[in-house]
Amino acid sequence: MYRFISLSILLLGMLTATSCYAADAPQPTQMTEDDLGPAIEQPIEFPHFRHAGDRDKGGMEINCMYCHTYARRSAVAGIPPLQKCIGCHQSIESVRESPRIKKLFEYWDAKKAIPWKKVHDLPDFVRFNHERHIERFIMQQNRPFQEVCGYCHGNVKEMKVARRQKLLSMGWCVTCHQKDHLVRVADGKAIGTQAYWYSMHKPPVDASGIVKAKGPNDCSVCHK
Amino acid sequence: MMNSGFDRRDFLKVLGWGGATVALSGCGNGSVEDGKETVVSYVEAKDYVIPSISVYFNSTCAQCDAGCSITGRIREGRVLKLEGNPDSAINRGKTCGLGQAGVQHHYNPDRVREPLLRTGDKGEAISWDKAYALIAEKLNGVQGEEIAFLSGGVSGHLKVLLGNYLESLGSRNHYVYEAIAPAVLRAANQKSYGAEMPRFSINKAKVVLSFGADFLGSWISPVHFSQQYAQFRKGVDGQRGVLVQVESKMTLTGANADRWLPVRPGTEGILALGIINALGTASGDIAAAVKDYDKQRVSKDTGVSAEQIDKIAALLKARTPSLVLVGGAAEGYAHGSQNAAAINLLNHVLGNVGKTIGVPVSVPFPQMSPATGNTAALQALNNSLAAGKYKVLFSYAANPVFTAPTVMKFKDNLAKVGFKVVFAHYLDETALQADLVLPLDSALEDWGTQVPEYLAEGAQINIQQPLMEKLHENTRGMGDILLALVKQRRADAYKDFDDYYAYLRNALLQNKDALGGSGVDDDYFWNDTLSKGIVKLAGATGNLSGTASAVGLTLPPPAAADTQYPLQLIPSINASLRDGRHTNQPWLQESPDPLTTIVWDSWVEIHPKKAAELGIVEGDIVEVTGKNGSIKVQAYLFPGIHPDAISIPLGRGHEAMGRYAKGYGVNPFQILDAVFDKETGELAMHETRVKVSTTGQRVIVIKDEGPVGGKQMGRKIAVRVPSNKIDLSKEI
Amino acid sequence: MSVSTLLENWSDYRHLHPVDDVPHNPYKWAMSIDLDACSGCNACSVACYAENNLPVVGREKFAHGQAMHWMRIERYWDEDISAPGGRDFPDQGAQFLPMMCQQCEAAPCETVCPVGATNHTPDGINSQIYNRCIGSRYCSANCPYKVRYFNWYDYPTTDNVWPAEMNQQLNPDVTVRGKGVMEKCTFCIQRVTVAKNNAKTQGRLVRDGDVQTACQQACPTSAISFGNLVDPESKVYKQWKAQHVELDKEAQTKDKEEGGSDLRGYRILEELRPYPSVMYLERVRETAI
Repeated sequence: MYRFISLSILLLGMLTATSCYAADAPQPTQMTEDDLGPAIEQPIEFPHFRHAGDRDKGGMEINCMYCHTYARRSAVAGIPPLQKCIGCHQSIESVRESPRIKKLFEYWDAKKAIPWKKVHDLPDFVRFNHERHIERFIMQQNRPFQEVCGYCHGNVKEMKVARRQKLLSMGWCVTCHQKDHLVRVADGKAIGTQAYWYSMHKPPVDASGIVKAKGPNDCSVCHK
Repeated sequence: MMNSGFDRRDFLKVLGWGGATVALSGCGNGSVEDGKETVVSYVEAKDYVIPSISVYFNSTCAQCDAGCSITGRIREGRVLKLEGNPDSAINRGKTCGLGQAGVQHHYNPDRVREPLLRTGDKGEAISWDKAYALIAEKLNGVQGEEIAFLSGGVSGHLKVLLGNYLESLGSRNHYVYEAIAPAVLRAANQKSYGAEMPRFSINKAKVVLSFGADFLGSWISPVHFSQQYAQFRKGVDGQRGVLVQVESKMTLTGANADRWLPVRPGTEGILALGIINALGTASGDIAAAVKDYDKQRVSKDTGVSAEQIDKIAALLKARTPSLVLVGGAAEGYAHGSQNAAAINLLNHVLGNVGKTIGVPVSVPFPQMSPATGNTAALQALNNSLAAGKYKVLFSYAANPVFTAPTVMKFKDNLAKVGFKVVFAHYLDETALQADLVLPLDSALEDWGTQVPEYLAEGAQINIQQPLMEKLHENTRGMGDILLALVKQRRADAYKDFDDYYAYLRNALLQNKDALGGSGVDDDYFWNDTLSKGIVKLAGATGNLSGTASAVGLTLPPPAAADTQYPLQLIPSINASLRDGRHTNQPWLQESPDPLTTIVWDSWVEIHPKKAAELGIVEGDIVEVTGKNGSIKVQAYLFPGIHPDAISIPLGRGHEAMGRYAKGYGVNPFQILDAVFDKETGELAMHETRVKVSTTGQRVIVIKDEGPVGGKQMGRKIAVRVPSNKIDLSKEI
Repeated sequence: MSVSTLLENWSDYRHLHPVDDVPHNPYKWAMSIDLDACSGCNACSVACYAENNLPVVGREKFAHGQAMHWMRIERYWDEDISAPGGRDFPDQGAQFLPMMCQQCEAAPCETVCPVGATNHTPDGINSQIYNRCIGSRYCSANCPYKVRYFNWYDYPTTDNVWPAEMNQQLNPDVTVRGKGVMEKCTFCIQRVTVAKNNAKTQGRLVRDGDVQTACQQACPTSAISFGNLVDPESKVYKQWKAQHVELDKEAQTKDKEEGGSDLRGYRILEELRPYPSVMYLERVRETAI
């Protein structure tokens, strides 16, 4: 009994010490119940609802990928070059003198890039590829783009400045990767072996030849 | 720590219980920094710029003179990695370690960033305007013959502009100096073959007999020859090529030889004549010349056994064509030219001329062809400096204060020049002696054209273009600086060119038709040229007109033993460090020497038998003393060296040039004797005689191989198979 | 399960990864290195430093054996050189061996990681997940080739490893490792991932030549071949087949056959049964001279 107690104290002491060390590590930002990211102040308060929002709410229903154009062909979706904003705004007289647009043109005239603050940050050892997700869910499965982008980024078309809506932790990503998704089927057959290039498990093929596969669960796909 | 009677089960029970606590205390997304990182988007992006996707630009590697073409991988405006350009006939998509380290030349933290006015040990940053004004002031009233320009090898438009500048100054004193240059070979080739640098086709030869030519390491165009070597090994007509290397100290190429023969230093020419004698096929004056070089005599003189001489002769007879190459044998000795002439004679006797020794091709713009460097230029410059001839000296791409033997007193002579301007990337030993240091753009930031000395398949002009925006605001390209300087003298002639870029573009467009651009418009041609990085041309074919004659060939007997200085110092050339211009690139410092695996330091290679005689073990700090100085360096027992020779690598021993170079190793250039090849006046690098003595100090040699020193301890790790047991034609 | 079943199927149990009945489909990355072409120049080693953000540790740490060269060139002399009764000079040259992680199919390092930071990808590469590694170093103790390298220091914050401007050279596709983490050659998995991504977008598989490892791309003698062992069109497949080297055997069938030793292909330390994915071609010792 005494042996047990002295050993427990020793081990507890060691573990506490280790925990204290862990506690000094940077803590995650304060999470709300909805895993909402912090509200981040941007150099220009960009109103997504005006640009991407529904027309009956005063928006222009611009496709996410008009501005975040690299999403379909690169790992990063990208913040558009200043040129993209000016491309439209140089002809929009009605808002030319409003404070935010004036600020925009100040940057343009000085040929200075706007220093946006990153809203959706992932650790440096993680590799997230937008292209693959756009390819799978928009190009292959033909889901509406707002649903696809919104799954991770939330209801951006009703936001002003973007704010992180989902946890974006590994566990959260893996939860989706563990779901069975329909893989593109042509003539009832799966195309090649694409369904399980990254997965450890061979996907089941049902009687009608439709293949469903999980997302990649190989560590090195996401970890650099 | 554990009590007696301790129960393992209890320990595990507690551990399991305690372990859960730690798991709960949590590790959150600690490395996520919402709202902290900045995303800087572009202002106006070219449409080929997609974040996270690399863009590739072609340029030319400037780390050595071979002129390989490179493709730089650029991400978000930063060059990250250099690869070979597959379109170049010289390197065909490959690079050497030195080329890979080019990014460390560019990003080096010790680059000079401002024009510096130097007084004593201090440098004061001044503006470019002030710097140019100062130069104009110092040139005022100075005659052309009192101005000199020292440079390394130059070619292309930089050579043209440099020539124009000197002409505007009325000066003819351009010294082209390279501390390590195949200058004796060039002169010997000119005599033997009628061309300084004929085409060598290692891949067409069945036997390569190399007298110290380190063609896999640092000789002329190693990446190109390495590729030829790979084909050579796969075989011509299904028969694997055989490499025989004859030298006093094993080079990288020697380590790959099928037969490596240690030869008494300086006697390579004698061996060559001995092989001609053994072949028995020569006639006329050649036969007469080799009459006295019978096996017994040659064997005694060189240390190569008569049996080996017979074997080599038999091999050369049985397998043709062959190829005989000259390296250190030429550059090393006062009779180097004679050595080279004797060895080149072998190619004639074997009938290789026209087969594996081919007609060279040159770029049809002779003004762009390279001005090649040599060490005779250093001698000439030094003499003029000693006589106090020059009031103004410019120096570019040369570091003579580091590479000149101390006995020449170069540093003291240099001090006699009133005004010294050094164009430099780093504050190396020579830049520290300057009155004005002008900071250069790195090779990856600059514009230029380059014509390599050794052209491979066809003729080509290499384009150099920036792979990214300048790193430092106040550095300038050498071409831009020269343009500004020449405009000081000839403003009208150059008024159309705002910068060197404009000058280059105009120069290339003017010759558009000759450069393969006929029928396309200027912009298209220019962009296409930059995009390719190489301009391929129908070259001007030379001719092989040299004489196969032994008239005038006299080889001295082997050097007599010197009791005071019994050993011959052979400074070795490492493929990455060379003459020390890249020692401040840390990847190269940490890259183990292929033969000794030593890093970050110098060493002296001593044969184990000689070391045993002298009572030296690995790590002993020994003092290597010659007539003109001594250096202390750690000893390394190395079986690949003639027992009468020792070897210290060149390139280390810097006293300046930044944090990665300064203070590492010793500089054997310093203690070289001032002995020169009789015919060409080139510094004979292997003619320094030394003695070695222990100092009582010992260190642990820092090397990559383990204490076993390169033995496999009976395991099948790196395996060799006899050639008569395999059939290479079955392979892919 | 009986002992006899275990022994019969030993090699299967040891190296079949949890990829159900489709191991190595459609990729199995493998390499072949021709020791007769390798000249020992070290270009591959420097290229690896450039591609994979390898820290230069400096003199003192190198002396402590803490160098980080994922690809190293080993230099061997013949056994009798400088030995009593042996040759005084290495008159048949030296022997160079490029050694890097052999991406073993039954890797001894994978089974001993306490936290599972190293495991096998479905396409046959031994992966190393840096943020999971806690630095127990058991994996490098188990590695028979000693090709695992430990970050004994925090190199990103160490002076002169990546000083200002040199840190701009870092490859963003590869993690910069901190202290306490194990690393090793990954067959340039970042390049493989890019190639697979591009191929997938185009609806095809990666073709031979689409992806080159950094070492392969630099090698001036083209001694290194890298590719997909499952693709019958790939050079690596053809080489392994021509050499009769089988991935999943520790005692090669050809060694028992007539004329098996005519073939140059072999793997290092095969008898330890890690089933390495790198085949070496023996250097040839010329009998003509």
